[in-house]
Amino acid sequence: MTLMRYAEALNAALREEMQRDASVFLFGEDIGRYGGVFKVSKDLRDEFGDARVRDTPISEQALTAMAVTAAMSGTRPVLEIMYADFLPLSLDALVNQASVFTYLWEGQVDIPFVLRTQGGGGVGTGAQHAKSLDAMVCHIPGIKVVAPATPADAKGLLKSAIRDRQPVVFLEHKLLYNTRGEVPDGDEVLVPIGKAKTVVEGKHVSIFASSKMVIEAENAARLLAKDGIEAEVIDLRTLRPLDLDAIRQSIAKTNHAVVVNEGWTFCGYASELSATIMEHCFDDLDAPVARVAMPDMAIPYSEPLEMAVLPNAVKIAAAAKKALA
Amino acid sequence: MATPITAGAVAGEYMETLVIVEWRVGVGDTVAEGDVLLTIETAKAAVDIEAPCAGVVSAIFAEADSEVPAAAVLCLIGTDSSDVDYDGGETPTVESGLSSAPATVAVAAGGAAEAPRAAVTSGRVLASPAARRAASSAGIDLRAVRASSPSGRIKLRDVAEASQRAPLFAVQAPVDLPADEHGPLKVHRSGTASGTPVFLIHGFASDSLSWYPLDRHLAKNHAVYRLDLPNHGASPKRQVGSFANLVREVREAFDALDLDGAHVIGHSLGGALALALADTRPRKVASLALFAPGGLGPRVNGDFIGGIARASRPGSLEAWLKVMVHDQKLIDPAFVNAAFAARADAELRAAQSHMGETLFADGTQSFDLAAALQRLECPTRIVWGRRDRVLDWRGALQAPGQVGLHLLPDVGHVPQLEAPDLSLGIVTALIKSV
Repeated sequence: MTLMRYAEALNAALREEMQRDASVFLFGEDIGRYGGVFKVSKDLRDEFGDARVRDTPISEQALTAMAVTAAMSGTRPVLEIMYADFLPLSLDALVNQASVFTYLWEGQVDIPFVLRTQGGGGVGTGAQHAKSLDAMVCHIPGIKVVAPATPADAKGLLKSAIRDRQPVVFLEHKLLYNTRGEVPDGDEVLVPIGKAKTVVEGKHVSIFASSKMVIEAENAARLLAKDGIEAEVIDLRTLRPLDLDAIRQSIAKTNHAVVVNEGWTFCGYASELSATIMEHCFDDLDAPVARVAMPDMAIPYSEPLEMAVLPNAVKIAAAAKKALA
Repeated sequence: MATPITAGAVAGEYMETLVIVEWRVGVGDTVAEGDVLLTIETAKAAVDIEAPCAGVVSAIFAEADSEVPAAAVLCLIGTDSSDVDYDGGETPTVESGLSSAPATVAVAAGGAAEAPRAAVTSGRVLASPAARRAASSAGIDLRAVRASSPSGRIKLRDVAEASQRAPLFAVQAPVDLPADEHGPLKVHRSGTASGTPVFLIHGFASDSLSWYPLDRHLAKNHAVYRLDLPNHGASPKRQVGSFANLVREVREAFDALDLDGAHVIGHSLGGALALALADTRPRKVASLALFAPGGLGPRVNGDFIGGIARASRPGSLEAWLKVMVHDQKLIDPAFVNAAFAARADAELRAAQSHMGETLFADGTQSFDLAAALQRLECPTRIVWGRRDRVLDWRGALQAPGQVGLHLLPDVGHVPQLEAPDLSLGIVTALIKSV
């Protein structure tokens, strides 16, 4: 085990996969000379040269289309979109190209690329640089979406994503980059896509979260423990495909579910999760599934206002208590 | 004219919403100026809201734990409990369709003292899906169940409570033995693909989920296979006829996995089966961990076997679950509910009852594996609680010298549940020793 920051874990995953496979290359805005605005690709240009770590102009639409075609022609590109807020500019390449080409060519092409980006609020970056658009990419069949919460999962999942045959959108969170955690040593330690992880065990209520919301959910579990409520926290890790078995098993035990997502509530990821639980676990539910998500509004630039609207541990704990009442 | 109570300046000018933590008063309560009405959670801290005047609480508009707009009217203080007119009260300011809009909830006076009877809307009782399923399998009429939740909805705990009070004559019609089902036994797989395999066999009237305290740890380093016995868990329901037939079914399921050098762990009846499996597949079994195994003496608690298989209500199941363990606190309502939910199928209970009568006729174990124990070739440990009230732990004393015995004080029939860390340590050490 090595103690690493989340950003360092991602950097290690990129380095190891680039060393392992010469067809892996990186491109995006300011990722080369500058090392990426969050320093995820730090020093990689020095090691691998500017043919494999490419600085690009600012055009998310062109970049994503380029990733798709580069993947079709036999490479494994890893694209960084600096802010998840600009994922909508990538959507045509995801919806009309990456997700359907394998089908349109009857399986003759794979589209093995990774689109890394980061979202989330909490540092006063306003309505255009703090969103969580998980639902927007999760809506697309044929695209895998992962959202790790810990350095170990960040590294293991990024390696799995780079090796995957399908396009993978890799969602990071700006407040996680400096978090630290133990990361298993070894170039072949992968975290499988599609597997959730129970991070807190409990028997009264299941809280499902991903990315930074896992930390809020763990804090909520601590708050609830003071009232004698044992909450179970499940880190989904992969948003699509969903680990339905883990969800079923937990709800069969607790009979109560709280779903948490930092994105908008209406038509959001929490809504999808809630509907899925209702369909698959209906007879196990002892209360309606509770959603804790971002209200349907722009993220305020004012930090106090921003803190008031973002989902947090207090809101999660309140939702859990209401479900158990 | 009543006085509307809002959070006012306490909420802070930048707050959109606040969370109601707790009501200190109910509708109809008389309050004096300065009395605390409720506690709210703002972005900074929990704050008490006090009555600005004396009067009677005539309405409460938002329930505890709900999130409401910072400016929302929270309750009214009137001259008496019927005084509910107030300035701005004619046109509701609730914005429909917004998730932050407060639901207008009439909270019953003195709500905590008297649990409300289940809300009945247009002839339909409000109950959670889980409560409905539990009530249906226990033969309980939901109209007679009280809802303890402020939502007015009957929950699992209410059904569990009602089932303990249900009159004796409300017994369910006996369920016929279901027709034999075909197909292989269910084996649940988890863990790593590469680690050495572990094969788990549960006990009578249990299922593969009972390995939860062990298997989630074992899954980190091993390929874990949890078997469901016939008439248990997700396996087909069919009558086995004899212990020998049951052994054959288990062996077929084991052979189908084609495992090389599996560590086999069995509990109770599953322990007897594990022993029989090791006896006939010595080269395929790397080690054997037997938790309170059957087959090491004729005696078995026949009341327990019959009672737990038959129990059709949470209350009666709870009584037998408590016989299984020494520390009675382990069998809390959540445990009972989960155990009962797994046994909600009346046909499953009927099939298990019949299987119990076959294997344990006259309160006697119909199988003797003492000789198999002497013949064992693989490293073996027996883990048994000295407070076991289902099987006699002294059966372990027949073991030959090379078998390790762990006889746990203050533990009953289920060491893996009652002493999970110790049990895991024993199993892990055993596996490492191979």
